[in-house]
Amino acid sequence: MTYGIAMALVLAILAYVCVLANLGPSLLWTEPLIAGWLTGMLVGNVEVGITIGATLTLMSLGMWTYGGATIPDFMTGAILGTAFGALPGVGLTGGLAVAVPAALLMTQLDVLGRATTTLFIHGADKAVARGDVKAVSWWHLMGHLPWGLTRAIPVFLAVWLGAKPVQDFINWMPASFMNAMKLTGAMLPALGFALLLSMLPVKKYWPFAVIGFVLFAYLKLPMVGIALVSVAAAVLFIQLKGGTVRG
Amino acid sequence: MAKPQESERALPEYGPVTNADLTRAMWRHNITLQFSWNYERMQALGYLWSMLPVIQRVSKTKEDLIANMQRHLVFYNTNPAVGSPVIFGASCAMEEKQQGEVGDSLKVALMGPLAGIGDTIQAILLRPIIAVLAASLALSGSVSGPIIFVIFGLFWFLFKVPQFWWGYRQGIGLVGEVTAGGRLDRITEAATIMGLGVVGGFIPSIMAKLTTTVAFARSVTVDGQATEKVVQLQPTLDQILPYMIPVLVVGFAYWLLKNRKQSPLKVLLYLTVLAFALSYAHIM
Repeated sequence: MTYGIAMALVLAILAYVCVLANLGPSLLWTEPLIAGWLTGMLVGNVEVGITIGATLTLMSLGMWTYGGATIPDFMTGAILGTAFGALPGVGLTGGLAVAVPAALLMTQLDVLGRATTTLFIHGADKAVARGDVKAVSWWHLMGHLPWGLTRAIPVFLAVWLGAKPVQDFINWMPASFMNAMKLTGAMLPALGFALLLSMLPVKKYWPFAVIGFVLFAYLKLPMVGIALVSVAAAVLFIQLKGGTVRG
Repeated sequence: MAKPQESERALPEYGPVTNADLTRAMWRHNITLQFSWNYERMQALGYLWSMLPVIQRVSKTKEDLIANMQRHLVFYNTNPAVGSPVIFGASCAMEEKQQGEVGDSLKVALMGPLAGIGDTIQAILLRPIIAVLAASLALSGSVSGPIIFVIFGLFWFLFKVPQFWWGYRQGIGLVGEVTAGGRLDRITEAATIMGLGVVGGFIPSIMAKLTTTVAFARSVTVDGQATEKVVQLQPTLDQILPYMIPVLVVGFAYWLLKNRKQSPLKVLLYLTVLAFALSYAHIM
């Protein structure tokens, strides 16, 4: 059994809305638990939705788009996993078997979406040079098209084609390719950190970065502890220089 | 009376910044900041669009407007929920007081440290706690799990409103103060130090998965018997410097960005190629 074109369209719109709700207003609808729940209500099986969503949420603990880094797209994973998991004969295990690889594959489309939007800021550059405020607004407000479509189109196709072709496609992908993509995902946060560091006066304040590193790498301090030490170090540094922070 | 030239005539929007303009700018920022997020300048276009209600008021001529818009098209990226509303509020205050350039340096100085602080609060302090609670409720069959998460998201959205007005008041206060420069420098310095400390810890914790699988087979003689022994490379690396690979990869990306002036998009490409090469060569 599969879904019709109407359900494929509805879930594609859901994927678009979830991405946008997180991108703009920071509503966190990309959390797999929320996306799975909403999908569950739409396909008429809330239990599968929240179970798959919760499982993926626990898998994604500690993952965050630091500085705009790409992480596995567990939102799309939750939508597809729930949609297929709710089908008779597929079930929870089958749904999860689709959800996890789909989340990993989607990292490639996240990169594509983030890269395509670069064209929009070049459009805005030209509009600004002309002093064309309307065009500037248009480029910004249409900027979510690559973001939404890179999620909506795969969801539409996958739900429309059904679980079997998706599973076949994932099985067909060589394991070495999946491994390479997993490694890429693990390496991409480096770009976020590098961007962050390139904005800071590292040459002047590098010892504080070393302190943070040592606290984690050697002393195994949790991040909250490192943040507290950093606050204390900042205040002390300024006080020793003869100033006060509150001034 | 001579007709004024096109460039000297004041634009229709020119005038004092009203409370309604500020409120409009705030909602634009709070709802759409990242709609046009891209690898090259990240949140820059969203920042400009959100700022337009204020910029249009303070720009007298079309040339002013273009110059003011261009100032905001430079790279900008920080945590959109915790931090950016403060920066944006302060920046609006600077624009209103015709101190746009001071506002620009404040923006650049604060975005990095506040990204570090905001990401720490969201991703490390609060999200794991809420996620574990919500997921365990959901796994026991209760829809209160996802509902808790939805409410949590709503909280982040609404929390941006007081941040904006706080930032705005701070911005106005800084402009008024004679010693504003000195105080601003100290706040920026403190934020930078905190940011760097946190990033120093972040790099190894987030990228801990980057380890090598390389192993050497060596024959060793134990009690007069020659045996094959497999030696893993990773423990050796850990003894030299723990988390050496994450540090090297970040260092490589930083070097490309800063010293080789490569665009973030190119760096992304190099990192992807590097990951594929290392994976297929069975190094990682």
